[in-house]
Amino acid sequence: MSAPAAVALERLLAPREETGLDRKLLAGLLAEVARTLEPGSGAEASAVEPVDPRLEQLRRLLLGREIEVLARLSAEIEDPERLAAAVGRVLPSAIASSDARLGQVLAPALEKATRASIRSDPRTLIDILHPLMVPAIRTSIGEAIDKTFQSLNESLKHALTWRGLKWRIEGWRTGSSFAEVVLRHTLVYQVEHVFLVHNRTGLLISHVASEDAVSQDPLLVSSMLAAIQDFVRDSFKGSDQGLDSLRLGDFRLWCEPGPFAMLAVVIRGSPPEELRDKLRDALATMHRERRQALEAFDGDPSGLGDIEAALAAIAAARQRAERAPRPGFPWLVALVALLLLGVAAWGGVRWWQSERLRAMEARHWSTYVERLRQEPGIVITEAGERDGKFTVAGLRDPLAVDPRQLLRDAGVDPARVESRWQPYEGLEPEFVLKRLEASLEPPAGVRLRVAGNRIVADGTASAIWLGRARAAARMLPAGGPTLDLAGVKNLGEGPLLVLRTAIQSAEIHFAVNAPLPSPGQDAVLDKVAAELKQLSSLSAAMRIPARVTLTGHSDDTGPGTLNLSLSLARAGAVLVLLKKRGVDPDLISVQGAGPLEPLEAGGSETARSANRRVSFAVWLEGQP
Amino acid sequence: MSPAVQRKICLLGGFSVGKTSLVRRFVQSVFSETYLTTVGVKIDKKTVELGGRSVHLILWDLAGEDDIASLRMSYLRGAAGYLLVADGTRPSTLEVALSLRRRVETDYGPLPFSLLLNKRDLAAEWAVGEAEFDTLRRAGWRVSPSSARTGEGVEDAFADLAARVAG
Repeated sequence: MSAPAAVALERLLAPREETGLDRKLLAGLLAEVARTLEPGSGAEASAVEPVDPRLEQLRRLLLGREIEVLARLSAEIEDPERLAAAVGRVLPSAIASSDARLGQVLAPALEKATRASIRSDPRTLIDILHPLMVPAIRTSIGEAIDKTFQSLNESLKHALTWRGLKWRIEGWRTGSSFAEVVLRHTLVYQVEHVFLVHNRTGLLISHVASEDAVSQDPLLVSSMLAAIQDFVRDSFKGSDQGLDSLRLGDFRLWCEPGPFAMLAVVIRGSPPEELRDKLRDALATMHRERRQALEAFDGDPSGLGDIEAALAAIAAARQRAERAPRPGFPWLVALVALLLLGVAAWGGVRWWQSERLRAMEARHWSTYVERLRQEPGIVITEAGERDGKFTVAGLRDPLAVDPRQLLRDAGVDPARVESRWQPYEGLEPEFVLKRLEASLEPPAGVRLRVAGNRIVADGTASAIWLGRARAAARMLPAGGPTLDLAGVKNLGEGPLLVLRTAIQSAEIHFAVNAPLPSPGQDAVLDKVAAELKQLSSLSAAMRIPARVTLTGHSDDTGPGTLNLSLSLARAGAVLVLLKKRGVDPDLISVQGAGPLEPLEAGGSETARSANRRVSFAVWLEGQP
Repeated sequence: MSPAVQRKICLLGGFSVGKTSLVRRFVQSVFSETYLTTVGVKIDKKTVELGGRSVHLILWDLAGEDDIASLRMSYLRGAAGYLLVADGTRPSTLEVALSLRRRVETDYGPLPFSLLLNKRDLAAEWAVGEAEFDTLRRAGWRVSPSSARTGEGVEDAFADLAARVAG
């Protein structure tokens, strides 16, 4: 097809004001087409008839489908109802895809319409807006204050407890405020019942109860609630609002009014204000989604079955009490506490032990000091504890008990004790007795004892010992114990004196110039030796010191010096002979008297013979 | 079986017409009668079986007072119908019932209702004549004599009202 032909066809199909076709143009067009197909045909436009049924036929042939569409479209557009329906079908998407200009164009008209609507009936608009407005205005000042008080109370309550500290850490960790954490943990509540009550009739639209809730017939409760709301509204004229909360013991009734239905919720425990928000949201949603069904409710709940799910969601709202130590035993805390306790206990035991030791030592020390005080011959002038050491000072009789010995007996560590003792002589009878015993050496037959403030001696003693004892008694310090010797019987001429007489009567004789005894003197020597041995044992028993002196003598012939040495030699010879006979030589001392102590005076041979001798002298207690 | 439907029905009547006795014998009640004197209304329930389904008549028993002005008319809002109770032995209570009906009609328009002429058992003292019955019935009223003591007319009246409000 040539280009001019295409242009012509387009013009043909283009809408024209007249319904009729431009026949002339069409005829020319067809002739042109014919010429193109068969140049020699000679077809002329002028040959076209003004009305040609074939043309109409061609038109239908070519454009039949388009004509049908056009007819349908024009019918759609010309019928206002059908046009409205068609526009209605596409309008939402048209608006959705339109640019901002549409809004600018529509806004003034909408505003005008809204104003008119509000002027004529504000209630309608309020009903419409209610579900949208409520969420927006729910954070009213009153609630904010409520929340503040609530969280303040809780904060104060928990600020200083261990749990409070834990919650502070939790708040710090999770980035929430302390009040929020407190609320989360402390608000314990459970929704027990949810009623959706129809405003106009008071009839129950739907009711959901938690598993363990008990109640009266919900139908009756619902209407009674509605009646009470009416009663409150009537009773407090001027207030369009009914009750919004009631409290009975542990239970709370929260009512949330909506345009067509009221949500009434029975809650056990202390619900947070957020629950109120939740109720409002739920009620607003119900009104938004089921507005017509709620408005038209007449007691038949069959059309509102799905509401129950929304109520069930509310009834599920609860907050369980946090069970104190059960979930997750705080092992770490317990461990640390145990550790601290252990350390404290160990320290305590140590301290207690040392205190006990100290107390024990102190007790031992005071016992010791007390014992020392009781001990004769010890006078304590000072006792105490200084710089961890015990000190004691005083006077001590040398005869008194050894304080160090006593220290060991008392269980006090001697290393911790400092003692300073000054010696003194005690006048206690025991010590006087001891001292007398040491100095008097009483013979076996004598016993000394304490009787009150006296020392009493009993038994028998030699006159010599008695003399000594009397002298000692006189020497005792005045005011102290006295020595009573009345009970000692005087031995007088006792066996010791008999022995002395016997020994002193004996003489050993010598020949001229002979240092050794004459023959026949052995019997005398034997007798004297026996007597001397007797003297020795008797004097020891009687505690009377005895001494024997052998004196050698010579006659008066010969030079003096010779006689002196001869006499000494004779005494020494006798000593040796006595010693040979078992006599203790320590008992005996020897001396030579030469011719100076003659037994018989005179120059006769008899006298000279008698003078050549060894004589015996016995000393008892140093006395001849 | 289709779910039960509810209808709000008000119970109205003058002082001492035996409303409370009716409620006590024929109606399921959980609330104390003190509500009547405090809140001025007590809710009770009467379930009527109607063509295979239950109709819960939620009865708003309004405090019976001869002083009509003190009646809280707001309690009648949303009622599907009402039951007037009068004492058949005291014609004055019928007057009260008539004025109650006028009052309701003024505020809420025409609603299905029935009139119970109670204390039918006290035949000797009966004071409402047949002529009056006829007058009322001709005016389109449902009037039935009833007795809380014998039960006469009570169940029928509830069933009839239920059929009219729930049909």
